Amino acid sequence: MGILLFISVLLIAACGLIYELIAGTLASYLLGDSVLQFSTIIGCYLFAMGIGSALSRYIHRGLAYRFVWIELMLGVIGGFSSALLFLAFAYSQGFQVIMYALVMVIGMLVGLEIPILMRIVRERYHFRDVVAHVLTFDYLGALGASLLFPILLVPYLGLVRSAMLFGLVNVAVALWSTFLFSRQLPSTRGLRMLCVMVMCGLVVGLAEAKRITAAAEDNIYADEIIFARDTRYQHIVLTRFKDDIRLFLNSHLQFSSRDEYRYHEALIHPGLSAVSAPRRVLVLGGGDGLAVREILKYPQVESVTLVDLDPEMTHLFSTHPMLTGLNQRSFQSPRVHIINADAFPWVDSNTDNFDFIVIDFPDPTNYSLGKLYTTAFYKAAARHLSAQGLMVVQSTSPMFARDSYWCIVETLKQAGLKTYPYHVYVPSFGEWGFVIASTHEYLPPTSLPAGLRFVSVDGLPSMFQFPPDMSPMSMPANRLNDQVLVRAYDQDWKDISH
Amino acid sequence: MRVSRRKFLQAGSAALVGLSVKGERPIGGSFVNDSFPLGHQLRDRGSFPAVRQIEKHSVAIVGGGIAGLSAAWRLHKRGFTDFILLEMNEQPGGNSRWGQNEITAYPWAAHYVPVPGPKATYVRELFEELEVLKNGEWNERFLCFAPQERLFLYGKWQEGIEPALGLADKDREQFRRLEDSIHAFRETGGFTVPMERGLSSKQAELDRISFQDWLRAQRMDSRILNWYLDYCCRDDYGSLTSETSAWGGIHYFASREPEEKGPLTWPEGNGWIVKKLLERVGSCVRAGKMVHRIQRRKHDLSVFCGDTEHKAQFVIFAAPTFLAPYIVEGMPRLHGFEYSPWLTANLTLDHIPATYGSDPTWDNVVMGSPALGYVDAMHQTLQSRVERTLWTFYWALADGTPADNRRLLLEKDWAYWKEAILHDLERVHPDIRRCVSRIDVMRFGHAMARPKPGAIFSRERRYLANLNGRLLFANSDLSGFSIFEEAQYRGVQAAEKVLATVAGHLDS
Repeated sequence: MGILLFISVLLIAACGLIYELIAGTLASYLLGDSVLQFSTIIGCYLFAMGIGSALSRYIHRGLAYRFVWIELMLGVIGGFSSALLFLAFAYSQGFQVIMYALVMVIGMLVGLEIPILMRIVRERYHFRDVVAHVLTFDYLGALGASLLFPILLVPYLGLVRSAMLFGLVNVAVALWSTFLFSRQLPSTRGLRMLCVMVMCGLVVGLAEAKRITAAAEDNIYADEIIFARDTRYQHIVLTRFKDDIRLFLNSHLQFSSRDEYRYHEALIHPGLSAVSAPRRVLVLGGGDGLAVREILKYPQVESVTLVDLDPEMTHLFSTHPMLTGLNQRSFQSPRVHIINADAFPWVDSNTDNFDFIVIDFPDPTNYSLGKLYTTAFYKAAARHLSAQGLMVVQSTSPMFARDSYWCIVETLKQAGLKTYPYHVYVPSFGEWGFVIASTHEYLPPTSLPAGLRFVSVDGLPSMFQFPPDMSPMSMPANRLNDQVLVRAYDQDWKDISH
Repeated sequence: MRVSRRKFLQAGSAALVGLSVKGERPIGGSFVNDSFPLGHQLRDRGSFPAVRQIEKHSVAIVGGGIAGLSAAWRLHKRGFTDFILLEMNEQPGGNSRWGQNEITAYPWAAHYVPVPGPKATYVRELFEELEVLKNGEWNERFLCFAPQERLFLYGKWQEGIEPALGLADKDREQFRRLEDSIHAFRETGGFTVPMERGLSSKQAELDRISFQDWLRAQRMDSRILNWYLDYCCRDDYGSLTSETSAWGGIHYFASREPEEKGPLTWPEGNGWIVKKLLERVGSCVRAGKMVHRIQRRKHDLSVFCGDTEHKAQFVIFAAPTFLAPYIVEGMPRLHGFEYSPWLTANLTLDHIPATYGSDPTWDNVVMGSPALGYVDAMHQTLQSRVERTLWTFYWALADGTPADNRRLLLEKDWAYWKEAILHDLERVHPDIRRCVSRIDVMRFGHAMARPKPGAIFSRERRYLANLNGRLLFANSDLSGFSIFEEAQYRGVQAAEKVLATVAGHLDS
């Protein structure tokens, strides 16, 4: 019986350490700063063990019975601790409160175990031997657990299942104790039934662990992904959370359906409404059809030519029911002509004239995209402007990428155009900037299409005012042989993230 | 049947090899545009056909590289069209020849022109005519797009070719000191492009020693500085600093102060300029015509080419000058002219190799490579997306004597060079074999004039360069080194001399 008893000590010591390690690891994963997490958790845990040990003196009778109960409670609380913490992080605001409370409870229970166990067996052995043996196996168990945890448990089982496995061990010790200490227990039947029930619960938990983590991770990491595809040109991801659809191209947010109307109304109407009788419109980029949706609000517009590199993108926004709902089937309009081509060569070789040109490319994150923001490109695009024509350029954030924004303005100027910079607030982007450019003077419109949700005639003048924190910067123009914009953009965003 | 252990192992390894080879397609290609058989025919005084017909021109230009074409351009521009240009190769252009495949046009050798300074008046005049320079502004589309150059060193790419990573204080101090010296040399006005405009005997001393000896005398012994200068000399002259005149090494740096971020480049390299020149003077150009003899007479010259004798008042010899003694009757052997052997290769890439976070550039150099790196022919595309491309790989065989390296060029087969090139590129592009479908290799026995010590101030060079009369020399080697601006200058100068003499005759 002696050796069996001491194996129990080894096992419960291992369980105790595992719960502590799980709490520390989880906190490091989810909150970062592993030094802080491990230090505070180990400290709390040891302190709670001290409280447990201190409380053990108030337990006078029924030691064996209470020991079995402590093991059962540890099995349940420790076993489900990991799952509980994951879900708490995903679904509640009070992750840290719950985590430290859990650590305290487990620590106190673990602190109770050893003193009680030592008192149970003190009649059978010399006190000297009890202390020596119990502590020896206690430390052995801790060693075993600390080696098992990083080498086998985390890589092969994961945190949720490791906790449940050791919960099972705790309950097994409880069950086993009903046999070991049967003489000290009033009745064992009810206790054994309870042990078996808790074990069943933990086994079910083990089997379902995947689903628990999946549920938690879905909520932690992303909204539901409704579409993801690597096309020849880019990585397209669409997500949805409740009524919010978001498009990511190469993991850069392109729009959020909740506020994209602000972006697209601001992109189109200040310019297009100022053209007296716009008949032909050109859109470069904008494969989501949202800018086209706004353009189609002008009945005078006879044709919209959209040039976008990626046929999969325009196909997606022509056919996906959720997306055609968003762009109001703008690509199905007989007025719209979609051309899948590389914008710069197309602009260079085409000879048509347009009354309004929308330049809506992804931000200049690399030298390839940067070519589409050069004096050479704007000169080529401006050759397509009709006598009364206007051009509008999406030009990043004058707030977060101030140098980049004013660099684009300067580039348009050096391409020989008059520039009219303006900005709006789009919640999912922040302050966002555009530039109207033309060969003649631009006057803001005095009327707009009916039913706009954001742009209004009264609100227009304020869009063209830049407060001091977004006011013009002196920047050189972006040229094919010297792409200052790509460097400036890179630097602007580095400054923000550091 | 009992399968022996050995057989079993063989079968097994064959299966393994089969698996590993599956991803790799065979790489095609060959040597192209070999011109040495023609050259050797001249050298060995082979037999040439007897004269069957006689043609008469005012001017015969021998050699259709940049020098010859520029002479023709000048004559033509001045309304003088009674000339003929005879080019040995099937394709005119010399070192500015180009190719074209289904992906892009690409260069065979010279691939850029630095943005010319104010002294290069002829280059500026040409570029204004070609609308490369318009209203004082350089056309953005012909300036090399950003990012221009990168260097691979210590396992990563850095922007620019001058080493900036891992410099010790000593290296930095020496780079700075060199820059100061170069600045001082530039201020003297003795280092210009074209070189003749600034050449001054004040700097003659520098031509007596090698660039390496000069660096030693300046206590510039930084290993990384010396690598960089060796690279520059190999790139521009095909020779190491130890084989380059100090004057030449300094000229490379002191002669230029760009007014715009360049250089000027085109997918087909300087072939673009050749195309434009041919649009103007192509009707007077005859390709695939090797001149084998030039005979001086009392009132004219005879140029023998195939079975035709071209009688001309003037001959502009624009082919490499070392060929002249084999062709011009009575011309003594030349001793001062040395040429560097080169090899270039054009690699067709069906996939773009992984970039590992570094933006691909126009010129890509690897520190420690015996070759010079590669240039991307698709770099000047306006497309934002490139799926196939073509790289021109440059290799000046600078280590060892030119004669030994010429022998090596002739001895080794195409597969040898293909493997050498892939091996060199594999260091920075481990996936290169999966991307390349074709490697064509061009061998140049005498690719460019080498400014070895003494070459610049040699009497022979100055005598031939300043010659007047009916036989004029115009190759860039008369400047001591082969660059576009010098070739164009020599060609235009020769044309001017002809025009001046003709005008003088008319006046009298």
